[in-house]
Amino acid sequence: MRQPHCAASFEMEVLIDSAMENTAHDATFFRGHRHLVFATLPPRGVVTYDLLRRRVHAVLSAGAARDRSFWNNVLLPITIGVLGTTVGVVPLHSACLDHNGTGVLVAGASGAGKSTLAAALAGCGFSFVSDDWTYISKDASALVAYGLSSPVKLLPDTVKFFPHLKDIAPHRTLNGELAYEIDPTWAGFSVNYVSHPRRVLFLERTSKPGCDFVPCRSEYVREFFEKSAERLPNELNEAKSFRASVIQTLSSVPAWILRTGGSPQTTAAAISDFILEGGDAPN
Amino acid sequence: MPQIDPLDYADPLDLLRRFIPTPLQALYRIGAVRVTVKTNDITLLPAFPLDLDLEVHAEQCLEWRLIRDAGLPDLLGPPLFMISGMLTIVTMGPACLIAVDHQQRELLAFLGTSIDARTHEDCVIPLLCQLTNEVFPAGTSLRFMAHDQASQNG
Repeated sequence: MRQPHCAASFEMEVLIDSAMENTAHDATFFRGHRHLVFATLPPRGVVTYDLLRRRVHAVLSAGAARDRSFWNNVLLPITIGVLGTTVGVVPLHSACLDHNGTGVLVAGASGAGKSTLAAALAGCGFSFVSDDWTYISKDASALVAYGLSSPVKLLPDTVKFFPHLKDIAPHRTLNGELAYEIDPTWAGFSVNYVSHPRRVLFLERTSKPGCDFVPCRSEYVREFFEKSAERLPNELNEAKSFRASVIQTLSSVPAWILRTGGSPQTTAAAISDFILEGGDAPN
Repeated sequence: MPQIDPLDYADPLDLLRRFIPTPLQALYRIGAVRVTVKTNDITLLPAFPLDLDLEVHAEQCLEWRLIRDAGLPDLLGPPLFMISGMLTIVTMGPACLIAVDHQQRELLAFLGTSIDARTHEDCVIPLLCQLTNEVFPAGTSLRFMAHDQASQNG
């Protein structure tokens, strides 16, 4: 990850506990108070985050410590997500796609279909950055969006839109959901790890066919992202201010509410046309 | 024991339960250390005598924040200790998560409902007392600890 303007480093200390592999519980959860956050990632680890000192203390099973996919797909994304704002990146619950250098953030309520639309966009000429969490930093005054090469998570019913999913089996994900988790490169997507957000779309499902792009005001953008951000304690005031400044900058990016009743592919095609035909050009 | 969690963690979003209120408070003394216990469950308050001598200025103070969390998985396990810098972390399975910040003088514990009164009194409280004593080793005054910390930082 290129160092953003305000990045800070963190330290991670890892202990290996050979007994941990035998634990039977399977719930992943997070708890925190003030600057301390616990993450249990059974059966592979317990991680404590000290957000004031930017230190991570992990106890991992031997298998997890050796498992590259655990590091890349679980431990590091969670670590960036938890430490995020204290180390200069703001995790936003949105997908991000890139089209010739134009980053498009796709936000929306849980279940709106962000991941499915991200996969459809990646199948029609957009480069894939992220499908669920996008990490935003500032480089001088410009916003930079990062993805973490995490797998794309698609719910079982999306197999009707992506028939090649029949070749693989869904499995239980970290949050307990049954889903397909696919490597974006396996799916043939072009992948960018960095983009510059220049458009924001708020996805809303509707029963009405077709797609409507409704311009939205900067206050809407700011309120949406502030409301969907984790409440932070007073000990992390600097992090709170940084996040507020990122969201403030993001609120000046052109944004639309996208109401769609079409399939992910027809919605992706409509977005592509909207951007290519300049429907998104500022007035 | 209360199983219902009436708090709304969605607005504002508090997925980590950082802002669980701990309205119950009591003062204790463990050796030379005055301990303020804050909790959301009266059954988590230690059974030993309260420190009623409020006029005495205690040089060594520690805050215990004991949070009963019905959302934690029930499984208790063997204790796992990790000591690093200013933090001591102890987990006893996902039902018992403890961290002590020596510098901030704070002990935090999330305790699941599988920790019943007996387990709490026989296992958890002695462990918390042990952790408290480790924050203030016998014969160590705050002045010397501050000196040690300055030496570490410098």
